[in-house]
Amino acid sequence: MQKIASLAIIFAISPTVMATTDNELINKGKYLSQLADCYACHTATGGEPYAGGLSFKTPFGVIYSTNITSDKTQGIGDYSFEDFDRAMRHGVAPKGNLYPAMPYTSFDKITQEDMRALYVYFMNTKPSSQANLDNDVMFPANIRLGLKGWNLLNHKPQEFAADNSKSDSWNRGNYILNSFGHCGECHTPRDMTMAMDHSKHYQGAMIGNVWAPDITSQSLIEQGWSSQDIKDLLGTGYSRKGTVVGEMYTAIYHSLSKFDEQDLHASAVYLLDSDEDVPGKPLTFNAQANTGEGYQLYMGYCASCHGIEGEGKPNFAPGLAGNESLAHENSINLLVATLYGIKPQFYSTLVSFDAMPGYDNKLNDEELTNLVNYLKAAFTNSTIRFTVKEMGVLRKEVEGNQENAAH
Amino acid sequence: MTMISVTINNKVYGPLEVDPEVKMTDFLHEYVNLTGTKFGCGQGICQACTIIVDNEDGTSDTVRTCITNAMVFNGKKLRTIEGHAKTSKTGEIIALHPVQEAFVNNFSFQCGWCTSGFTNKTVALVEKLKRQPIAKDQVQKIIETELKDHVCRCTGYVKYYKAVKELILSTEGATV
Repeated sequence: MQKIASLAIIFAISPTVMATTDNELINKGKYLSQLADCYACHTATGGEPYAGGLSFKTPFGVIYSTNITSDKTQGIGDYSFEDFDRAMRHGVAPKGNLYPAMPYTSFDKITQEDMRALYVYFMNTKPSSQANLDNDVMFPANIRLGLKGWNLLNHKPQEFAADNSKSDSWNRGNYILNSFGHCGECHTPRDMTMAMDHSKHYQGAMIGNVWAPDITSQSLIEQGWSSQDIKDLLGTGYSRKGTVVGEMYTAIYHSLSKFDEQDLHASAVYLLDSDEDVPGKPLTFNAQANTGEGYQLYMGYCASCHGIEGEGKPNFAPGLAGNESLAHENSINLLVATLYGIKPQFYSTLVSFDAMPGYDNKLNDEELTNLVNYLKAAFTNSTIRFTVKEMGVLRKEVEGNQENAAH
Repeated sequence: MTMISVTINNKVYGPLEVDPEVKMTDFLHEYVNLTGTKFGCGQGICQACTIIVDNEDGTSDTVRTCITNAMVFNGKKLRTIEGHAKTSKTGEIIALHPVQEAFVNNFSFQCGWCTSGFTNKTVALVEKLKRQPIAKDQVQKIIETELKDHVCRCTGYVKYYKAVKELILSTEGATV
């Protein structure tokens, strides 16, 4: 009788114990899925979570993200762990090769343990029967077999290995940003075969009409980023050094803002390559630049929102003094913002920035040159100045990019 | 300091010495004593400070004067709320502009802070429609598109939009 009672207790407890373990695993998987920002690509605007259908305009045609809910027919509910692992790590799904728009070239670094948590989470998402859309890709990219060749050439899956000469935080930062975070997919330039050029890790690359900036530790330190600036930008979308817009805004909204305090710290440690708190540099404002047409144009069109000394307005317009996009040698983003404006950005229930109008039809090449040269002289330590001719060439390039922009 | 000259409501002002930091609302109020343009939010949101800039090609733009500084308007031809009604030689108002008339008839405004902006935007809209008429069934849509950024905290837009719709539909050449 006692034995039966004991068995009864075991059976009564076991499912609870299992559920707790599963719940823990599911929660861990959910957090990791947020680090990887699966939602942003696999959810169409206004669509069901993870049901796919978001379009990606590539040089080879339009690719649609797929349904990755736990639905067994349209989603990935019938995947075994091995199927899931192979898709994530090797880019090979049960139905064929994935396009490298899916960042399996970064996800290969995910550890087995974390991959299992992700798998359990995705097997427990709300199923959606939304059918997958056919990609509209031109020859030869429409031959999926070709991707096997691409993988052979460019993808050598390698699980993350810690660098023992570095701290735990640095290694954690390296792990989450280069596997889940897949930062390099945008910030690392690509070679002739469209694979990430690892010799130029994080050195910046064009994404559609904007430049995903150089985020090497050398560049960030040189630009005056502090550890706190990095945490502010990644955690909230805005910082002393500027705000994020476009694709990075989506990455912050769905992913980076969900990082816990330790992972945010680890990210700052890794990005600045420093375990010590980096103090950053003071913001730049050179009053002696306040002369000439550029100054007058700034005062006329920009100062009301960005401030007479480039200090900005809280919750309205970011400061320009010390602004990252202004200071960079690459001035594409500066021109895109000035000419075409910026959509309003909502970072949280308490913090948002208003829309910036575009000045494409208000500034001719000479005025644009004077304005940009003033911005560089007044709010950065950069010695770069443009001639009207150079600015005309850059403006044409930006206009071309704008017409071909992916989104 | 910089020197500017502007034509406002057909009258030339200047050359006047102006600090580059002076906003156009302040210039209108303090330098040329045209106080009808209202300063609202001060950051280009509410549109109360909107005035009209007449281009050489016969088209017009509306500009928010709280976020645009005076010197940007150097050499330009402007219209403000003071320029719409017909006045006698002694400066007394003898007839309101049709837009003003429509707003009064429809009790469109209450406190009046947004009215100068609404009036200027509507004047520019009606003139644009006279140059490029639209179908009658498109009128409501164009009103909602063109006036959507103008903020009114008293009457809830309905009476403004109704007035503008009536005016456009009764203006010869604005619709086809």
